[in-house]
Amino acid sequence: MNRFQGGYAGRILYVDLTDGTIDNRPLPREFAEKYIGGRGFSSRILLDEVPADVDPYSPRNVVVIASGALNGLPMPSASRLVTATKSPMTGALGDSNSGGYFAPELKYAGFDAIVVRGASKEPVYLFIKDGQAELRPAQHLWGCKVHESHQKIVAETNDEDTHVLVIGPAGENMVRYACVVTDKESVGGRCGIGAVLGSKRLKAIAVRGTRDVKIADPPRFKKVIDDYLVSIAGEAWTESLRRLGTPFLTEHRQTLGIWGAKNFQSGIVEGGEKISGEVFRKKFLVKPLGCMACFIRCRRYSAITAGDSPFYTKGPEYESIHALGAKPNVTDPETILRAHYLCDEYGMDEQSAGSAIAMAMELFERGLLKRDQTDGQELTFGNGEALLYFIDKIASRQGFGDLLAEGTKVMGEKLNAEYYAIHVKGLEVDAADPRKQETRALTYCVATRGACHLRGNPYIDEFIKPEEAEAYFGTAAVSDINSLEGKGKMVAWSEDWVTLSDLMGICKFAWYRSRDFSMLVKRGLDMVAEAYQAATGIPMTSREMYRCGERVYNVEKIFNLRQGFGRAADYPPERFFREPLPTGPAKGAVLNREHYDRLLNDYYEARGWSPESGVPTPEKLKELGLASDEIQ
Amino acid sequence: MAKERIWYVEDSENMDQICSRCRMCELICTFHHHGVGNPYRSRIRVVALGKGVDIPVTCLNCEDAPCVNICPTGAMHRPQPDSMVIVNPDVCIGCGMCVNACPVGAVILDPGEGTALKCDLCNGEPQCVKYCPAEVLKLSGSSQFSKHRMKGFARLLQAQTINTETGLK
Ligand code: SF4
Ligand code: SF4
Ligand code: SF4
Repeated sequence: MNRFQGGYAGRILYVDLTDGTIDNRPLPREFAEKYIGGRGFSSRILLDEVPADVDPYSPRNVVVIASGALNGLPMPSASRLVTATKSPMTGALGDSNSGGYFAPELKYAGFDAIVVRGASKEPVYLFIKDGQAELRPAQHLWGCKVHESHQKIVAETNDEDTHVLVIGPAGENMVRYACVVTDKESVGGRCGIGAVLGSKRLKAIAVRGTRDVKIADPPRFKKVIDDYLVSIAGEAWTESLRRLGTPFLTEHRQTLGIWGAKNFQSGIVEGGEKISGEVFRKKFLVKPLGCMACFIRCRRYSAITAGDSPFYTKGPEYESIHALGAKPNVTDPETILRAHYLCDEYGMDEQSAGSAIAMAMELFERGLLKRDQTDGQELTFGNGEALLYFIDKIASRQGFGDLLAEGTKVMGEKLNAEYYAIHVKGLEVDAADPRKQETRALTYCVATRGACHLRGNPYIDEFIKPEEAEAYFGTAAVSDINSLEGKGKMVAWSEDWVTLSDLMGICKFAWYRSRDFSMLVKRGLDMVAEAYQAATGIPMTSREMYRCGERVYNVEKIFNLRQGFGRAADYPPERFFREPLPTGPAKGAVLNREHYDRLLNDYYEARGWSPESGVPTPEKLKELGLASDEIQ
Repeated sequence: MAKERIWYVEDSENMDQICSRCRMCELICTFHHHGVGNPYRSRIRVVALGKGVDIPVTCLNCEDAPCVNICPTGAMHRPQPDSMVIVNPDVCIGCGMCVNACPVGAVILDPGEGTALKCDLCNGEPQCVKYCPAEVLKLSGSSQFSKHRMKGFARLLQAQTINTETGLK
C-alpha cells in the first residue's frame, strides 16, 4: 500500500548483487518529509550505508538511483534522475544528474529509488516492472557499447516503452570516470558512477511501469503548473537554450575570455568562432529534443550522415565543446561531435576524458611526457586525431589510455605533475575559468561532489537589486559585483536553493537563470513548495522547503568530512592563484589568496560551520534535525 | 461542418516547431482525465521512430468509424453527426473490439478501469494543444490542415521554380 496521498510511488527497491536478494520496502514517511527525493534520498542513504573505510570499488560501496519528488507528474521539466555513490574520482560523495525518461518511468514502475549493494560474480542486469524486479544474466551484453546494449535489452523485454540505464565498455573496464547512459542519450556523466556499476558487474537497469503517480490535490496542482509555465515563458535564457541549446554559452565564454582553453592556460580559443553554438546548429542539428515534460527543449539531436561512419547522437552540450574543444584546443566541429559521440558510446564522462587528454597535451608540450610514453602519438594541443585515438584507448585501457583512464588527479600523482591537474577534490574543473570571478571559484571549490558549476548559482550579484540583497543577505553590497561583502552568504544560500531542484527532479534550466532575483525565490521556493504540497498532501512552507535543501547539503558535507575533506580540500588548483590569464578580455585575471580566504571564512560562517575545519556546529545540526554524532 | 480532430502540424521551415518528444501531451491528457501522472493512460501517444523522428498519434475521427461500427454495445458512438467519436464508459464492457478495429491504434483499454479510452477533445478545450511547447498540435478540420500543407508546398514550388527577384521563372 502506498501511504502517501500522491507524489511518491511509496517504495524503495533494495538489491544485493552478492547474494542476489531483492527487497521491496516501503518508503518511510519521515524520511520522505525530511529528504524529499532525488539527491536528498541518495545522499542520506549513502551517509547511512557507506562508512569511511569503504573503497569505492569494494562490494560494500552502494549505488543509489533516485527519482525526484515531482518526477512522473506533468510538472514542467521534472525529468531528472539522480545516480549516486562514493565516487572513485574523489572518494567523496559523488552524484550525477541526467534528464530523459528514466526517472518518471521508475515511479510508474512503483519505486522512488533503487539501492544497489554488493557485487555479482557474473555480469547481470536488473529488470523492474510494475512493482516486481529480477536479476537477469548479462554475459552476452558485456563488451557491448551503449546503443547496442540498449537495443538488445529493449528487445529482450519485448516492450518499446522500456527505459534502460546502461554502462558501456568504459564502465566495465572501470575507467575511473565512466558514466551511466539512459535510453542511449541521457548521460549521468560525472563522478564515475558507471565505474562503480562496472565493479559490481551490473550492466544495466531496465524499467517499465504502467502505474499512476497520484496527485493529492489536482486542481491545486494545475494552478502551480500554469504559474510555473508563465514564470519561465519569455525569459531570454529560455529562448537562447531553445535555439542553440547549452552551446549558446560558447560565445559568452569567448566574449568574457573565460574558456579555460589549453588546460586552463588561456581564456580564449583561437578560432573559437568555428565551434560556436550557431555552427553546431547549422551543420549538425536534426532537431531540438525535450526531456519528459520539458518546455525549454534545450537538447540537441545531431547527426553526421555523410562519410564512412555516419551517426546520430544527442548533443553536443556546451560542456562537450568545452571539454573536447576548448580544453584540448580542437577547433574542428566535426571532430568534437565525433569525440562526443564516442564518449557516449563507450560510456565515459567527456568532461573528465577531455580534461585528462588536455592535461597530457600540456605535459607533452612541456616535455614532461615523452613520445615513448604516449604510444608514439604527437600529443600536442589541437591534435584532433590524437583526441579521437585516445578516447578509444581510454575505454579499453590500452597503452597510455590506461593512465588517462585514471583522471587528472591520479595522473598528476603518477607523473609527478600535480600542478597541471586542474581539479578540486579529484573532479576536474568544468564549465569555465573561475579566475575572473571569485564567487565562481568559491562555488566550484566548496561543491560537495568536487569541482562543479551546478551546485550553486554564483551569478546572483550580477542582477540582484540592492533592496533585495539587503532583505535576503543582510547587506546591499551583495548587489555590487566588485564587493566581497555578503558573498559567502550568497553562495551558501544559492547552494541550498539549487539543491531543491535535485530533490524535486526538476531541471536546473527551468530553475535558476532568471535575471530577476525575486522571481528566482518565487519560482524555486514558493511555487515548488506549493507543487510539493499539492502533489503529496504534505504541508510544506517555503521556509521548511529551504531547510530541506540546507539539510541535504549538510549531510553531504558530513559524508565528506568523514572522508577527511576539511578546509584544505575547499581550495582551487594552484594555477588559478599563480598564473594570471595571459590574453583576451579577461587578461590579467587571477585569484587573490587573501580574498579567497576571506570568502571561504564568510561562507563557513554563513553555513554555521567551524572556520578552521568546516565542521557544522552542534547548534546547526540541531537546527536541521541532524544528530550530533553523525560526523563521529 | 467538417469534423474536427487533433492534427500534427509541424513547420518544416522552423526547426523548433517539430515534435520534440517531451511527452507533455501524454502527461497532460491523463492528468486532465484522471487527475494523475501516467503517460500510459493518455489518449495521445508520441511514437519514436528513431533518427530524430517522433510523431504524436491520436484519433483520426474517421467519417465511417470502424470503432463505432464494431462496438457490440453502442458504447463507442458519435453523439452528433459532426462531433467526435466518444466512449460511454457506463456501457463499455472492455471487450477491446475497438482497439482491434482502429486503423491507427488510437483506442486503448485503460490499465486501471479496463474500459476503452480514446481522445474526446477534452470537451472542446484540448489540453494537449494548449500545453504542447512546440505548438505542433492543432484542433482543426481537414480543410484547414490541407490549406496548411498547400502553403508549405507552394513555398517549395516558389523556391524551386521562380526567381524570387523578378517573380518569373
Ligand atoms: S507535447 Fe508537443 S512537442 Fe511534446 S511530445 Fe507532444 S506533440 Fe511532441
Ligand atoms: S478511434 Fe480509431 S477508428 Fe475510431 S474514429 Fe478514432 S481513429 Fe477512427
Ligand atoms: S484533445 Fe484532449 S483527449 Fe484528445 S488527445 Fe488531446 S488531451 Fe487527450
